[in-house]
Amino acid sequence: MNREKDLANYAFVFFVFLSVLLLLFPSTRIAQTARILASYSLYPSLHYGAKYDHYIRNVPENFLNILKTDQENRDLKNKIKELEISVKAAQAAEAENQRLTGELGLSRNLGLKGVWARVINRNPLDWHGAFFIDKGVKAGITPNATVMGFENARLGLAGRVLEVYPDFSKVLLITNGVSSVICSAPGARFEGLAEGKGTWLLKVNYIPEGSEIAEGMELMTSPGGLLFPQGLPVGRVARVHPKESFMNFITADVAPAVSINSLKEVYVIKRELPADLYGLSEGVKK
Amino acid sequence: MIFTGDLLLYAMTGLVHWWWAANLSIFGVAPNIAFMAALTAAILARPAKAMSYGFFFGVYLDLLGSNIFGAYALTYTLMAYGVYILKRHFDLIGGFSQIIAALMLSMLTMLFYQGLSLVFAKINPLELKAFLVEPFLNAALAPFVFYLFARLKKRFGIL
Repeated sequence: MNREKDLANYAFVFFVFLSVLLLLFPSTRIAQTARILASYSLYPSLHYGAKYDHYIRNVPENFLNILKTDQENRDLKNKIKELEISVKAAQAAEAENQRLTGELGLSRNLGLKGVWARVINRNPLDWHGAFFIDKGVKAGITPNATVMGFENARLGLAGRVLEVYPDFSKVLLITNGVSSVICSAPGARFEGLAEGKGTWLLKVNYIPEGSEIAEGMELMTSPGGLLFPQGLPVGRVARVHPKESFMNFITADVAPAVSINSLKEVYVIKRELPADLYGLSEGVKK
Repeated sequence: MIFTGDLLLYAMTGLVHWWWAANLSIFGVAPNIAFMAALTAAILARPAKAMSYGFFFGVYLDLLGSNIFGAYALTYTLMAYGVYILKRHFDLIGGFSQIIAALMLSMLTMLFYQGLSLVFAKINPLELKAFLVEPFLNAALAPFVFYLFARLKKRFGIL
């Protein structure tokens, strides 16, 4: 027992002495270089930005240059990653710029005064029903104002303003199940009622049997409707259903002129509506 | 043969310590496997061997670190001697006592190492988050490391 105790004490003194020696005496050039090589190989991240003047003492200059080059290489790789992110952001901004420029040109050609607004919120449970825009009473938006969408240098009817708040508004889309638009084809002698179905397609009803409606035909807002200005693109006939006819009318599926689900900006047309259509008492919220 | 086993244990522990710190650290914090190995060796091995384990695990950490050389070696040697004194009075075989010992000794060794760094190199290596988290990680893993080392000792006579 005593022998073990003695041995323990000797070992303790020996290892403490050795440790203190390592602490007190600066390492030789070779030992220091070996140490920095080992630690740098295992944990290169330890050396980033560290004040390691104490650490690199006695290390040959050419070896330090290799370490510095490696660190510089890692820094440059990180910078490249950051620049790649910046390039992606710039590309997205450029694409948005092009889209907005195109939309601006279209709205000028439209000949109707209005304000631009961004789509700020969609309800996943009512995806084809409504969305919110970032302009409200303060921007001069009124209930039932016509909302236009733009896509790839094309414009099309998106819906109408349903509720107006001071800083934002709710837009009732034409694809909503309760929406309807009186429409007609340019040069044709029929009018139909395009109704939303709660899906991405519209359904046109009340087209007189024997009308010259065909797939691919473009439908526009009709002068017969009071809510929307005439001549705005509503959509294109996707399919005619003569067999679904009832009474003496036929129906057709219509794809909206613009992809309403992917709209990012809309143009809200400002125009004088008949007083009854404003619905101020119902549509304006405070 | 036993010496080879000790060498292998030392190398394996070093490898696990390095791998864990390099790949499994969370927010820069990981349990100090080398510390736990030194502590377990101090509990299980005879005092002279325990101190040599402490010293060489310390040298290993000194080699990996960017701070003063020899500080960990001194710290873990002192810790091994401390445990040698401590285990005469306390039972360190039980899991709970190992957890408490790992927790307290982790903190003490970190503070001691910090003191050495400040005195010898004026470097402040101890991060607050490491000081607050690492002792608890060490304490949580201590019984497991002890169990592993105890099995190795029983089966191969290492330590």
